[in-house]
Amino acid sequence: MHEPPYQTVLKPYGHALVELARRRDDVLCLSGDLTRQCEVDLFQAAFPERFIHAGMAEANMIGVAAALARCGHVPFVHTFGVFATRRPLDQIINAVAYPRLPVRIVGFMPGISSPGGPSHQAIDDVALMRCVPGMTVVDIADAGQARQVCEAIVDVPGPVYLRLKRGEIPVIFGNDHRLALDRAEVLTSGADAALFASGMMLAPALAAAEVLAGHGIGVSVVSVPVIKPLDEATVRRVSAACKVVLTAENHLITGGLGSAVAEVLAESGTARPLRRIGLRDTFAEGAGTAPYLFGKYGLSTQSVVECAWNALGLPGPAPAAAVADARPGEYSPV
Amino acid sequence: MSSAVRLSDPGTRWEVADPQRLATAIRLRAVRMVAAHGFGYLGQALSSAEQVAALFCVARPGADRIVCSPGHYVIAFYAAAAEVGLISEQELDGYGQDGSALEAIGTERSPLFDYVAGSLGQGLSAAAGLALSDRLRGRQVRTFALISDGELEEGQVWEAAMFAAHQRLSALTVLVDANNSQVDGPVDTITTIEPVAAKWASFGWEPVELDGHDVHAVSAALAGARDAGRPVALICRTSTAHGLGCLPPDADGHFIKLPPELAAAAVAELTARLEHARA
Repeated sequence: MHEPPYQTVLKPYGHALVELARRRDDVLCLSGDLTRQCEVDLFQAAFPERFIHAGMAEANMIGVAAALARCGHVPFVHTFGVFATRRPLDQIINAVAYPRLPVRIVGFMPGISSPGGPSHQAIDDVALMRCVPGMTVVDIADAGQARQVCEAIVDVPGPVYLRLKRGEIPVIFGNDHRLALDRAEVLTSGADAALFASGMMLAPALAAAEVLAGHGIGVSVVSVPVIKPLDEATVRRVSAACKVVLTAENHLITGGLGSAVAEVLAESGTARPLRRIGLRDTFAEGAGTAPYLFGKYGLSTQSVVECAWNALGLPGPAPAAAVADARPGEYSPV
Repeated sequence: MSSAVRLSDPGTRWEVADPQRLATAIRLRAVRMVAAHGFGYLGQALSSAEQVAALFCVARPGADRIVCSPGHYVIAFYAAAAEVGLISEQELDGYGQDGSALEAIGTERSPLFDYVAGSLGQGLSAAAGLALSDRLRGRQVRTFALISDGELEEGQVWEAAMFAAHQRLSALTVLVDANNSQVDGPVDTITTIEPVAAKWASFGWEPVELDGHDVHAVSAALAGARDAGRPVALICRTSTAHGLGCLPPDADGHFIKLPPELAAAAVAELTARLEHARA
């Protein structure tokens, strides 16, 4: 694994989808008027005959994609996460999920990574997709995973919702990292706190674990790229080996990763105090920058450190987390 | 699951000798299917009987695709399929009953269709996707989609209409069952959807307005739509009471109550018409 500030790359997903399409002529690409933003201008240039403009019409886009999947194509559908899940929820349920069709719904700009206000902030997309029967829900953390994810999901039975950061994508994992959809990955070992993190919260989770390690607190950071179906065995095993359990997600704490982990702990009788990091029954708002929102809504490294500190009942104020300076083209969690 | 087939599956075969007679037979079977419950989607069968009969005449068995956007209309298709031998009498008797694959509101489990769903307004998008796939693959088949006028209130229908016209999906033909009926009452008292034909024209479709109970006109229009060079919408003006004189004038077109005495009268009326046609 690399250390922050992380190097970043552009369009790792977009390149990967083109590579997949070179090998798989059943792959089609649909876009809802966000082609460059969703990195699929690359696909449009490489395979114009397999690229379909759906325009600003998400309900129809999902319905068309479902019919294409019914005919044996594997459609990848692209828009922002808010528009991919809220607007066409009924279409996803009736036209895609009930027939268990292999539509790949790709929602960019997760959580409060957009400073564009509640209309553009997908703070509920994981919850909405997680409650759809048969839906696989993926929230990856870095560029290396983005390069692998198209290949990883193309043959998953039934529908997939893939949540992707937009823009500069950090390189967190080393070249030897392999994305596996069937397991959560234990990245650090510690017996005090188990910290399950998905998507953009993996970086602050790792940074927080390092701060805590400097104060003698051991944290097992677990990367959870697939929220459904959840790797329940790893959740149980790591939780049982620690004193407290934390979850961190760029999303509401209801319905997403935190809820999924809570369900596993409760159903398995793994009695550990649980703290969920994420938005707490609130919308965010429009702002100038995403880091401001991450700080304000408790998604910063400092927030994770304090959450662990308090959950463990440690005395005095939690240690301060230093933020690694990021130059242009680099990424650091706030 | 149903043992019945999908109409577009290779190997599926049927023949229609007399489309007018098929329309009457659809009504008779629909009356019996609804009578078993005492109420149901009879109005949909009465308004669409000629359109469904025409589809069974024009669609090429084992090739052309059939989409039924409003799932409540499956009753008419099931009745037609039973009449031409694609659904058994025993299976048809299970319509809407516990454990039957013939759910009263069409779903993914329903036989016959390339797409049907009970959540209204979604079928045209599916039809457009099917037609687009066929064009991508060079398959020379047509896609027929039945939609209802009430569904025109759903925005997705117009998203799909724009998409299909932009893609010039000329293999796609739509039947709009303009029966002026929705749950809360006549469509024109709920939302003004007229001028329907002008709307389709302005969305890039070729509209054709016709008497939806003239089975020969509907058949001819379905056949002729193949040559339009763009998608065609047949706006079929119909009534949810057509062809069944014994219905009370205040019958609810969306969900008709059919107590035993009324059902018996309806069966007698339609049976007599079938026998008269045979004579």
